[in-house]
Amino acid sequence: MDVLVVSKLVKKFGSVKAVDKVSFKVKKGEIFGLLGVNGAGKSTTIDMLSGLTSPDSGTIKLFGKDFSKNQEECKQRFNVATAYYNLHGRLTVWQNLIVYAKLYNVKNPKDKIKDLSEKFMIKDLFKTKIQSLSSGERSRVVLVKSLLNDPELLFLDECTVGLDPDMAEITRDHLKQYNKETGCTIIFTSHYMQEVEKLCNRISFMNKGKIVSTGNAQDLVEELQTQKVMLHFSKNIKKAQSLLRKREIIFEQNGKQLIFHLQNKKRVVYPLLEEFIKQKIPFDDIHLEKPTLEDYFIRQSRQNESSEEL
Amino acid sequence: MKWYRIKALLLNYWYISFSSADRIFDILYWPVLDVLIWGFMTFFIQGLSDFNIINSIMGGIVLWLFIWRGSQDLVVYLLEFYWSRSVYHLFISPIKKIELVISLGILGIIRSLLSFIVVSVLGYALYSFNVFNFSYKILFFIGVLFIIAWAIGLFIGSLVLRFGTRIQILAWSVIWIIQPFSCVFYPLSALPPWAASIASVNPLTTIFESMRIMIAGGTVELSVLWYPLIAGLVLLALMSVVFSSAMNSARKKGRFAKPE
Repeated sequence: MDVLVVSKLVKKFGSVKAVDKVSFKVKKGEIFGLLGVNGAGKSTTIDMLSGLTSPDSGTIKLFGKDFSKNQEECKQRFNVATAYYNLHGRLTVWQNLIVYAKLYNVKNPKDKIKDLSEKFMIKDLFKTKIQSLSSGERSRVVLVKSLLNDPELLFLDECTVGLDPDMAEITRDHLKQYNKETGCTIIFTSHYMQEVEKLCNRISFMNKGKIVSTGNAQDLVEELQTQKVMLHFSKNIKKAQSLLRKREIIFEQNGKQLIFHLQNKKRVVYPLLEEFIKQKIPFDDIHLEKPTLEDYFIRQSRQNESSEEL
Repeated sequence: MKWYRIKALLLNYWYISFSSADRIFDILYWPVLDVLIWGFMTFFIQGLSDFNIINSIMGGIVLWLFIWRGSQDLVVYLLEFYWSRSVYHLFISPIKKIELVISLGILGIIRSLLSFIVVSVLGYALYSFNVFNFSYKILFFIGVLFIIAWAIGLFIGSLVLRFGTRIQILAWSVIWIIQPFSCVFYPLSALPPWAASIASVNPLTTIFESMRIMIAGGTVELSVLWYPLIAGLVLLALMSVVFSSAMNSARKKGRFAKPE
C-alpha cells in the first residue's frame, strides 16, 4: 500500500521553480531518501508534504486521502523533525514536549515523554530551556517531539545535523527499530551519504526541483559504472604509464602508485591486469575501490553544474 | 475544532507568560501606571467640575483595558511563535486556524480580567472607585469591547502573517491611534468637528459615552448599544476573513517554512 503518492507537484517562488512536476510514491514501511544539493528542492517538497507550504499545482495523497482536503486527519498521523527549526527557546524541554503531546492528544503524555526521552537520552534536560541546549541536544528533543504521536509517517529533514557520530548512530538505530516495530514510513533527507546508505531502502535524487533518478543505493551507485584502481609499482612505473597511455586511460601518479578509473565491470579491469602481467610489468599491490553514494552525489551535482555552464 | 488543542495552546501561553518578565509586566505594570498617573491628574482637575471626573477616568481606564489587552495579546502571542522560530512546528501540527484564534481570544479574556482585577482593587484603594457601582450593562459593554478588540487583533495579526516581524511595532501602536477617536476619557462634544466626525462613527465611542452616562446617574437604553454590537460583529467577521486569507497567503508563499 502506498502511504504517499505525489503527483506533478509544482512550487514557484517568484520566477524560481523550486519544485518542478515532482512525482513519486512511497510504500508503507519504506525508508525513502530524498537527496540533492542545497537548493535542489528537497525541503520545499517536504514543506508541501507536511502542509506548511501549499503547492501551486499537483496533488498529494497521504494515507490514501487527498491531503488538501484532509489536512487535520493526515497531520494527526504524521510528524516532522528538522534540525533547522527549534521548539520555543524560552520554554524548558519538558514544557515544550508536554504542549506538543497535548496538541496531538497523546494518551498518558507524561509516560510517553519519559519513555522516548530515555531512548534519546534527554531525560536530564527536562528542566533546561531549549535556548540553553547544544545543537545536538536540540536535535534530539525535536526527534522526541516528532515521535510523540506514534506517527505512521515521519519526515526527517536533516535531523541528525549537530549530533556527534555516536549519538547519530544511536539515533539511526532507534529510527530503524521504530520503523521495524511499527511499520512507520520514513522520508529522510540528509547530506551524510553513509547515513542514507545505511537507512534508506530507496532514494530519489533531486536537482533543480526535479527528480533526476530513483532507486536503491546500490542501483544508483552502479549507474556510475566506474571503479577506482590503484596499482603500486616498485619498478617499471614508466612502462606502466606508457601502457595506460596507449589504452587512452587517464591516470594520476602518487609516488610509485598509479591511480585511474575504469568501467565497473570485470571484463574491463581483468584484461588490463592480464596485459600488465603479459608485458612483464609486475605490480606489487592492487587496490580496487567501488564507488559510493557520495561519488554518485558528487557526479550528479557536477553534471548539473556543467550543464548549467553550457 | 478540538478543545484539547485549544487547551494545549493555552498551556503554551501559560508557560510563555511565566517565562518572560515582559508578559507579566503587560498585565501589571502599564495598567497600574495608568491608574496612578491618570488618577493623580484627575485629583488635580476635579475641582473644575461637578461631574465625577475620577469615576469617569477610572471607568475609561478599566474599559480600555479590554480593548488594549484583547487586541495586543492576540498579536503578541502570535508573534511569540515567530520570535522563537517555533512557528514551523506549530503549523505542521493538526492545529486549525479557528483553534489558534479562539485560544488567543481566550488568552486575551484571561489577561484582561487579571489586569481588570488589579486596576479595580487599586482604583478602590486609592480613589474609592467601585466597579460594582456600574449596572449589569457593563458586562454587555465588556462583551462588545472584546469583539472589537479581537477584530483589531486579527487585523494586525493578518499584517504579521503577510509582512512578518518587521511590522511588529504595530502590535503595540495601532491601538493608541484608535484611542483619541474613541472618547475614552472625554466626551464626544469635547472634540473638534473634524475629530468628532471620525469618533462618531467609531463604535467604541458609543460604549464610552454610555459609560459616562451611567456614571452621571443616567440610564442607558440597550437599544443604543445595537450599533457598537453590530459594527463589532461585522468588523470581527470581516477581519476573520482577512486573517484566514493572510494565513492561506503565508502558506502559499512559504512564510511558515522560512520565517524571518
